[in-house]
Amino acid sequence: MSDKRVAQLIVDELMEAPPSSAVSLQMSIDHYLEVLRGVLDLFASKKEADVIYVTSTISFDAIKRVLEALDINTSRVFFVDCISHMTMGASSGHMDDHTTLVESPTMLENVMLKVEYLIRLSDASEKIVVLDSINSLAIHNNNWILSEFLHILVSGLRARNVYTIILSVEEHSTPEINNMVNLVCDHGIRTNPKEE
Amino acid sequence: MVHRSGDRERCGTGIEGLDTVLYGGIPRSNTVLLTGSCGTGKTSLALEFLIHGALNGENSLFVSVTENSEKMLANIIPYNFFEESLVKSGKLVLVDLPVMYERLGMTKAELTMEEIDLLVAAIASLVRELGTKRLVIDSITSVCYKLKTSEKIRDFILKLSKALSDVDCTSILVSEMSAQASSYSMFGVEEAISDGIVLMANMERRGDLLRTLQVIKMRGTMHSRAKYVLDLTPEGVLLAPLLKGGSAGT
Repeated sequence: MSDKRVAQLIVDELMEAPPSSAVSLQMSIDHYLEVLRGVLDLFASKKEADVIYVTSTISFDAIKRVLEALDINTSRVFFVDCISHMTMGASSGHMDDHTTLVESPTMLENVMLKVEYLIRLSDASEKIVVLDSINSLAIHNNNWILSEFLHILVSGLRARNVYTIILSVEEHSTPEINNMVNLVCDHGIRTNPKEE
Repeated sequence: MVHRSGDRERCGTGIEGLDTVLYGGIPRSNTVLLTGSCGTGKTSLALEFLIHGALNGENSLFVSVTENSEKMLANIIPYNFFEESLVKSGKLVLVDLPVMYERLGMTKAELTMEEIDLLVAAIASLVRELGTKRLVIDSITSVCYKLKTSEKIRDFILKLSKALSDVDCTSILVSEMSAQASSYSMFGVEEAISDGIVLMANMERRGDLLRTLQVIKMRGTMHSRAKYVLDLTPEGVLLAPLLKGGSAGT
């Protein structure tokens, strides 16, 4: 599948999902940039939504640089960064109103609290929470606590009519992680490299 | 139909998570001990309770015992919903107890039984005069240091609770305790005679330090007894359930 088709496929599928849906987005690692474009640019723009982007994979400023390189407007993207503090990469010089840090990806309750905080700050009628990614959270947390976290987070967001998109990397996923995500999601999208 | 919350009128704290835990808020005119070790967010939570009350038109009074109230206000988290006009209009009044001690001539290190009566009467009179519906004393432990004995502490808290309850005032008494304490208050007396106990703590889990909140007791309502993780934000105190999957049961 071509990169452009990946982004379009994601938007088409997401547009079909009703509000408050939880969507599992399993991608090939090669499609990461197109997933960002599809979710943060095309889908969020169409919905005029604020995006709360929870990153436990790479730091918020690295993602921001990528988004800027892709010419994606970041004014409506708010970051919950769970990795910069732990890797001692957070510097106050790079912080802005759009970013909040969680000390460690093991502090899953604090991830929920920061998401809640940003939802309260947002005045957009539509909101999207992106979890990037379940695989990197699984490095730091056992399956029991991660499963409990997903269940509480997604249930809470569903009750508030917020879209949840859970990213997972196909090459790094395990059957346990897939089951965990499938349990809380009502819809699944795959950017399967085997179809190329 | 079953009314899970009982029939008591509620004093909503305005803290969404806490009101959910309490099935709607603190039963009106209860005296609640808000207890915890340092850095757990007691003063922030207590002040938020007063601000929400003042914003809803209820006269609110903060009695500061250890810290100058203006300094306290400057150091507290900058709540997005705080309005200076609440203080200017007298909806939110901040009083320093040491100033009251001075005016009442209570200069000695230990208060006598008569002075305790005088102090309770002075606070009750202020509450009546201001039409206070919400009161915070921060901290009751500092007052207790001037009372010394369990009998005097019991007498003071009982009399104060009654005086406040008589005027339909819901109050939070902030209590300090050590992190290793086995009881819920410094002197072990305060907890037994309060209508409610809200415990705030720091919980370590695999090297992470989480702020937690747990309602231990609350007369006049059903409530959750589970432990919650809290965050102090400019939008106020936020609560999330403590995840149990990886916990060793602390």
